[in-house]
This record gives sequence, structure tokens and C-alpha cells, in this order.
Amino acid sequence: MTGFLNTSVTRPDAAGKVTGQRAYPGDLVRPGMLHLKVVFAERPHARIRAIDTAAAMAHPGVVAVLTAEDVPSNGFGLIVPDQPVLCGEVVRCVGDRVALVAAETPDAAEAAARLVVIDYEDLPVISDPHAALQTDAPLLHLGWGTNIISEFAIRKGDTARAFAEADVIVEDEFSTTWQEHAFLQPEAGIAYVDEHERVIIETAGQWLHEDRRQIATMLQLPEERIVVRYAAVGGAFGGREDLSLQHLLALAAWKLRRTVAMNWSREESMIGHPKRHPVTIRSRWAARRDGTITAVEAHAVADGGAYASTSQEVIKVIALFASGTYEVPNITSTIVAAYTNNLPTGAFRGFGAPQAQFAAEIMITKLAHALGIDPLDMRRRNIYREGGTEPTQVTLPPGVSALPVLERCIAEAHTRMGHEPPAAPYLRRGIGIAAGIKNLGYSFGYPEQATAAVELYGDASINRAVVRVGAAEVGQGTHTALRQIAAEVLQVPFERIEMICDDSSAAPNAGSASASRLTLIAGRAVHDAARAALQQWHEEERPACATVQYRPPATTPLDPVTTAGRPNYAYGYASQAVEVEVHLLTGQVQVLRAISVHDVGRVINPQQVTGQIEGGVVQALGYALLEQFQMRDGYVTTPHFSSYLLPTTMDVPEIIPIALEHAEPLGPFGARGFAELPLVPFAPAVAIAVYNAIGVWLTRLPMTPERVLEAIKKQHTA
Amino acid sequence: MQVSITVNGKRYERNIDPRMLLVHFLREELGLTGTNIGCDTSQCGACTVHLNGKGVKSCTCLAVQVDGMDITTIEGLAQNGALHPMQEAFWELHGLQCGYCTPGMIMASTAYLATNPSPSEEEIRGSLEGNFCRCTGYQNIVAAIKSAAEKMQQEPVGV
Ligand code: FES
Ligand code: FES
Repeated sequence: MTGFLNTSVTRPDAAGKVTGQRAYPGDLVRPGMLHLKVVFAERPHARIRAIDTAAAMAHPGVVAVLTAEDVPSNGFGLIVPDQPVLCGEVVRCVGDRVALVAAETPDAAEAAARLVVIDYEDLPVISDPHAALQTDAPLLHLGWGTNIISEFAIRKGDTARAFAEADVIVEDEFSTTWQEHAFLQPEAGIAYVDEHERVIIETAGQWLHEDRRQIATMLQLPEERIVVRYAAVGGAFGGREDLSLQHLLALAAWKLRRTVAMNWSREESMIGHPKRHPVTIRSRWAARRDGTITAVEAHAVADGGAYASTSQEVIKVIALFASGTYEVPNITSTIVAAYTNNLPTGAFRGFGAPQAQFAAEIMITKLAHALGIDPLDMRRRNIYREGGTEPTQVTLPPGVSALPVLERCIAEAHTRMGHEPPAAPYLRRGIGIAAGIKNLGYSFGYPEQATAAVELYGDASINRAVVRVGAAEVGQGTHTALRQIAAEVLQVPFERIEMICDDSSAAPNAGSASASRLTLIAGRAVHDAARAALQQWHEEERPACATVQYRPPATTPLDPVTTAGRPNYAYGYASQAVEVEVHLLTGQVQVLRAISVHDVGRVINPQQVTGQIEGGVVQALGYALLEQFQMRDGYVTTPHFSSYLLPTTMDVPEIIPIALEHAEPLGPFGARGFAELPLVPFAPAVAIAVYNAIGVWLTRLPMTPERVLEAIKKQHTA
Repeated sequence: MQVSITVNGKRYERNIDPRMLLVHFLREELGLTGTNIGCDTSQCGACTVHLNGKGVKSCTCLAVQVDGMDITTIEGLAQNGALHPMQEAFWELHGLQCGYCTPGMIMASTAYLATNPSPSEEEIRGSLEGNFCRCTGYQNIVAAIKSAAEKMQQEPVGV
């Protein structure tokens, strides 16, 4: 039989998606269900003096108004349960949920939600993380005792001495802003209690078993009593990693013993899930005359918003990648995430790596300029190589392909870019090239595993194979890729393999669809389970069944004194080149072409690889140039797509995706993850290209026309 | 209010709230959930359908405004069980990931091809400015439309 890898098997879910038959969570609403409506705080910080639900309850069609008192355990969160399910005492951001109305029709629920009277006493609003860290700042979480969500530091070598002995030092400050996931399908779902007294939630998400864990904790029920199922998920990008409405659906179904439904508007979605962290980074880099980087110092502050979400983990990634993809002997990298009254921040494709490397890639370029060295040669000299040492004083996991990836990108840029001059005297063109690194999988000792079960049915030959793996299909195509991996191991046609992935009671835990980890880790679990089942098949077991939990090499927290430790078990590497055209009169930056080179280890499905790269590049383009989620004094000023601009077809450049295959030692057939990487080097590549076009540095994201014009003006007056 | 609207070739008589949007009429009254809702400001295009053969965002008009008119939704595009070439092209050329934008993209592009049967890539891009996709980066969507247009030039189909 022929191979099932490196082939563009069309996705089995495409049929339903092109005909409108495939159900998204919002399509599950049926007549007779109760409709839920959240009463949001709509104010950034206040004490709740009283909640009066009488008028709402009296509204025709209203069945219940749930408040904090109705929640068995009123706190949730991926890492720390610091976020109230329904706020009873204090609201800390405009997205806080205060009450939940259940009514026979959506109109009644909406009307009644407006009748819930909440008596608030407004409290001082902290809208800036630096202000939150002042000693006299009011505490946002009294019990926590500080506005610091988490802090983290990495120290390697002797930075002070390295700076004292450096031939050249450069310094700068960078700032990035919130990014909104803007997955196209707003949060929605249904929930009910089944005949076995289990709470069933049908919705969208990124990790069945973690949703289940948090909901079970909230309801104080054993996990087996909670079943989470995913309908078709309309995009995620990290924005569905936190609970948004899944727990509210569960709560209402459990309390009211009715099937309940909720369908969020875009405006509700915008305030209902965390954003990418805004970060400020002060950087200082030192080098020797020959171009060897000798020291990196970075101090960063991240806005964690009102609740912890994954801040604690995101900031570790930022600190780790302060020195980018480069081996540096002396590093001091500190970061603190602060509570503010802004919307919480959490996971978003790249998980801190884009912010850190926006600074790092600009810094290495400036350092090269200061030395009079070609910035690409500077990268070649310092980039991670096999056997290199990480900032945390351990050897990089094997499979370091940063240099070949960079070289390919440089070569492609050379042939494809810079060959036409701009068409008008007020246009300037420039090319920028940047490298990037991102951990694959969970880091710093966070428990990492994926479990898969494979069952083989038939007699002489395998007629049917069933693969159970609780890995979320959020659009990226993971079910197709996992099925291809199973087909390749079993040498059974694709069509004979049934995938069971969307039900927490029927598929084992494969971890989240995040950290570019599913192809690598869930793929490896499927691979190993299929191999084990096949072994049994050859031993004449019928059906032949095997369950395998795959655990990659352990990572560790850092030593509190030396900050040494094993942060990650695998990395992905990328390099990107962009050619831009800057309009000197309007400040508009247009990306003309983008080359995105990725080491994917082994191509499972070329179409999907290309699709991930292209989609990622366009999100990165939005992050670099357009997307400016804004909050003022804790209020969102970009609540709709009319004010939060997303890239459209007209913004998209020519994209040249390139996949290299340097095998990842742990991956199934050598495959590794890469889906976050397009977000990593892109923004700095654009900043470098803009610098090469007009000679000014933009160190704030996004690089809007106003900021470009301002920078040009400053340059003229200087 | 009484309306009579033909959807996918079938006439529906309904008594509806005059404030009901067409998209809600399709999804809630008729149970045709293939037409998606992605925003509340008429920006995303996920809700695009054909109104008398023209592409419209069904969240921008009231159901009563289309009384007596002809609507085609994504569910009505396949003819006698055979997919429309545009549907085939989106499927085969990986013109979708999460698929939430797909019905709108397919309806917008089929309507556009009726006005411009062999568009350039530039023209295709221009015609989709009102349709967001957050997953694909648009490249394969444009490629799918181009390929469907070419196929339809060879074997025309009615929409
Ligand atoms: S739902 Fe977004 S344009 Fe209609
Ligand atoms: S495929 Fe997800 S929005 Fe287009």
C-alpha cells in the first residue's frame, strides 16, 4: 500500500462545511430550550452593594435569574481559580459576569437582563500595569495580597561584567498592544442533564478534558458526571482555551434541569474571552566587535488584566525568548505580569513569543548596524545550533534547525524580492528578514501527555479501525492529520479509519489544541497506540485494542537560585522575509510579499501545512500593522469589527510558504508543530523592512499609519 | 406580519415579527442554519445569501423587506445531490479551515461570478473585501474561486 503522508488528503469535515450541514454550536438551538443571557458588569471596577432581580423575574417568560449565590464553587481559571463564575462582591473588568437570566425566548432573556438592577459603588480603576505595581496602588484581589499575578526571572552568566567589557551596547524600549482572536464563530452552546444525571455541554473549545475539570470543580461534581462535547469549532487561536460560557451553560442546566442555550453576539465575544498580552520591554544588548553577542538584558511588564488566566505561563515564554533564537552567554531577563482592570489576557497563537521576539529581532539588527556588520551575518554567527545552550543553562533539545531555516529564507528573499522599484517618488521599498523560535508543547514542568486508543476490527484483514483521541479540531485540520498518521502506521485506507475525538466521555485526554503541540504529541500518541494495536493484531487478537499515553521527556521549573532548568522538550524554528512599500505621505505600510520558511519536521498534509502558514501570516500581518484593540480607563473602545480592523483580501500580500523537513526526533515520522511560528518573526521583519525603506525604527505595535508618520516627522526634526 | 418568501425554490408563508432580520428568518423560522452569523455590524459577510440572484448580507435586511422575493442559501446550492463547482473547489483546494466563513464566501463568490464569469485574481480579491476569514489567509479561497470559474466556463451551471 502506498504512503499516507505528504499527501493532501481532503478533510473529511469539508463536505459538511461547504454544504452548510455541519453544525456549529450556535446551530444546536432547538425549540423548547431555555435561552440564557449574561448580565455583564459593563464597568471596570466596582463593589456590588446589592443585586435586585425582582423586576427581571417578573418579566413574562423568565424562568430564573442566577447570581453568585447559585454557584456551588464560585471561581474558575486555567491555572488559578481567581475568576468568579458570577461576581457577588466586586467586579474587576467590563467583561465580568454578574447574573445569568434564563427565559423561554431570546427576546425575553434579553429584556429581563436589562431589568436586573445592580447597585454598584465604583472603585478606582487601574488601567495600566505600571500603575498597578506602584506600592500605593489599591489591591485588585484582596486575598492575593499584591497586584503581581506572577513574576519570573532568568539569569545566566555575568551580565554586568559582559556589559562592562562590551565593544558595543544598544538599548531600546518596545511596546505591544492587545490582540483579539476574532475567531469568526462567536461563543455559543447548549447544555442539559441526561438520564444518568450527567451534565452534558455541547459547545466549542480547545481542550475537552480541561473544560470538564473546571466545570466539575465549579459544580462540585465528580468529573465523570460532566461530559463536554465539541460541535464544529469556528476558529480558536488560543481564545477558547479559557472557559467563556461553557460553565454558565452547565450551571444553568444543572440548576434548572432544562436544556439551555446561549449564543453570544460579537460584542459579547469581544469582552468575553482574554486577549494577547500588551507588553513593554526594555532591552539592552551587548556585543564584541566581531559580531558575537555577549549579553542580553530585558525587563518586561505585561498587562494581565483582571484575572490570571495563563499569564503565569505566558510570561515565562516571554522571558525565555528575550534573547530570541540566539545563543547568548550572559542573560538577565525579568518579567512581571500585573493585575489591572482591563480585560484579562491569556493564550493567543504564539503565547508570548511574538512580543519577546519583536524586541529581540530589532535589537540584533540594531546591534549589527552599530557594529557595521550585515544583520544577516550577525544572525548566522549567533543563531542556535545543535548542542547549543539555552538561557536556562541546559543543552537545546536535539533537532535544532534554526540555521538552515534562516539560510533558506535568505536565499528565497534574494531571488524573489527587491527587483522592482516603487512606482512613485513618495513610495519607498524595503526588505526585512527575521528569525523565530517557539516551544512546542507545555513548558517548565507543566504536566505534558497525550493519550490515544486504537481498536482494530476484522478477520483476515483490518476492515475498520477506530482511533480515540481527545484532540480538538478547531479548523487547523488535526483530525485529518491524526487520521493520516494512523493510516500510515496501520497501512489501512483512510476511509476505514473512524476518528472519535469530540466527546470527553468517549475519547481519552490528548491535551489542548495549543502550543503547536497536537501533531507532535497527540500524533505521537496515535502513532504509538496504532503500533501497539497492530502488534496485538499480529498476535491474533480480535478486535485488537491498545491505549497509549505518550509522555515526552520531562521539563522542569527553574531552580529558584540559579534559574537553571529544562524549559522545553522541543522547539519549532521559522524565518520570514517581507518586502514592504511605505507611503511617505499617508504613512501606510503595505506588505508586497512575504516568505515564510518553517521546519515542519515531516509534511503530513501539504495543503494543511500551506494553509496554516498562510493563515498565520495574515494574522501576523494584522498584528504588525492593523489590529489595535483599545481600552481606555478599563472600557473597550473597539467593541466591533467596525473599529477593530481585521485583514481582508485586499491587505494580503503574495505569500510564499516553504516547509523544510528536518526530522523532530520525538515526532511521529519526524513531524513537529509549527502553527504558531508564522506569528513570531513577522512583526519584527516588517519593522526591519520599514527601517530599510525609510530609515526609522518603529518599536510599538501595531505600526499604524499615524505612528509611521509620527516617526518620519521626528526623524526630520532630529 | 404575513410574508411569502421563496427559499431554495420552495415558497414559505409565515407570520413574523416585522423586526426579524432575514438571517434569523432563515436560521430560526426555517431551520436553515448553514447561513452563519459572525458579527453585529454587517462587516464579516458570514451571512451572505443570494437575493434574486445577487449577493446580500442577510443580517442587513429585514425578512419583511424580501417579501415575495427569491432567496438562495448555501443549502440550496447543490443541484440534485451534485455539489456546485464552487463547493467542490472549496473542498478540493482547501479553501476552508474552520469553515465558518465558507457559506458566505461561497454565496458571495457565486453571485459575483454571475456578473463577471472569468475574473482576474485581483477582481476576485476585490469582490471579497466584505467577507472575513480569520483562518486561511484567503489564498486558497481565491484559488478555489478561480478554479471554479474556469470549470464553470467549460460547463456552465445555473445558480
Ligand atoms: S453576520 Fe456579519 S455581515 Fe452579517
Ligand atoms: S475558515 Fe475559519 S473563518 Fe474562514
